[in-house]
Amino acid sequence: MNNQTKSQFVAVASITSELSAVMVVAKEISLAAANAKAIAFRAGDKAKGFQPITDFINELAKETIELVTDINVYALLLYRLTVNEYRRTSAYNRFEQAAKLAENAAYGATMQGPVDTAKARMQDCQRQFKRDVTHLLSQLEAVMHHARAARVIAANSRIEASQAGEYLQSLQAVAESVDKAAHTIHDNVQRCRVALSIYRSN
Amino acid sequence: MKMTKIYEGSHQWIMFGRDANKPASIIDSNQYVVRTANRCLLMDPGGSELFAPMMAAVLHHAPVEQITDLFASHQDPDVISSLGLWDQALTNAKLHAPAIWEGFLRHFGCESIEYVPIPDHGGSIKLDSLELQLIPAHYLHSSGNFHVYDPQAKILMSGDVGAALEAPDAPVFVDNFDAHIDKMRYFHQRWMPSNQAKRAWIERVRKLDIEILAPQHGRMFKGDDVKRFLDWFDALQVGIAV
Repeated sequence: MNNQTKSQFVAVASITSELSAVMVVAKEISLAAANAKAIAFRAGDKAKGFQPITDFINELAKETIELVTDINVYALLLYRLTVNEYRRTSAYNRFEQAAKLAENAAYGATMQGPVDTAKARMQDCQRQFKRDVTHLLSQLEAVMHHARAARVIAANSRIEASQAGEYLQSLQAVAESVDKAAHTIHDNVQRCRVALSIYRSN
Repeated sequence: MKMTKIYEGSHQWIMFGRDANKPASIIDSNQYVVRTANRCLLMDPGGSELFAPMMAAVLHHAPVEQITDLFASHQDPDVISSLGLWDQALTNAKLHAPAIWEGFLRHFGCESIEYVPIPDHGGSIKLDSLELQLIPAHYLHSSGNFHVYDPQAKILMSGDVGAALEAPDAPVFVDNFDAHIDKMRYFHQRWMPSNQAKRAWIERVRKLDIEILAPQHGRMFKGDDVKRFLDWFDALQVGIAV
């Protein structure tokens, strides 16, 4: 296995690892939203502006979880494609080697068919891999978009929290946790994108 | 890859091995081919490292499309880890291998080749008008293990039974049985786990008319050396590691 193939295996495997961390954080946001909703309910009119925000946070967390679930399924398909591509490439190289060794054999020419087929299959896999990486990158971009939205919501939450009197500290803590979670999601997804970007189709 | 024709009649047996270009770190192995008019059977076709030289060697005797059958005596990597490559090269082939190893062997890649499971009691492979017998050799050394007997050529392809570990440029036939014992004693004592299985196999094989005993490693036994080997193996205590 050459270094490029190893890097490809590592890049694809690392997506699942990074995304499982994103999933944990998204669930934390969902929990923070439920917590904020309870506080806002107790605060009554003092946290009137905060109440619709909690629904929005919850919706965002749910959508992120759904997106990451879909991406994980796709990442598994991409991993299988990587294995397939490795097998196809390995076969093509061995077939070429066999054809070369059989140059003087009575039936050496019959190896050309398997060589051509193996080459076509390998190229198909390479093209499919690039297409799938491009699609995966766009899905990751959608998660990034959610993370950016969560940070805006966190900023708005801080403003609303400042008007909540004795509930200020509790609601600010909610805003902080949403902001921190959004940061984590952004960083993890960004690492996935960097790892995959060299394989995208032009 | 050295090629030695060991039978020529209405069909042919060819032994392949002693590959001078194989990586030194992997064990040397013998591959056998039976060639009939329109078909070609590869027995224990070898590990993936051997695929290219083996395919090139076979192409001296048959075109790719006539390589129709593979046989794996058991599941070891030196026997059949090349399966995933044959699977992609052959368009119309069958793999005859122990039924109990099917789920395991498929890890090597077996999508287009048809897996023909050999039941524990054995079976046969038909190549044109030739019928080869699949002789049970369980626990010698694998728990699901078969040998191939050709009653017409009087050849028994015996997998790891009769194997010896020696230099890659060794002759293909045993020329001094007594001197050869040292090269195969440890292999049989250590790799073969069961005296009971050994006795059952010897009893079965003594009933066959064998001119050549063809193991997967080392040298082949011819004529009287076949009986010498069976007598020697009969007396040997195996399964020494416990």
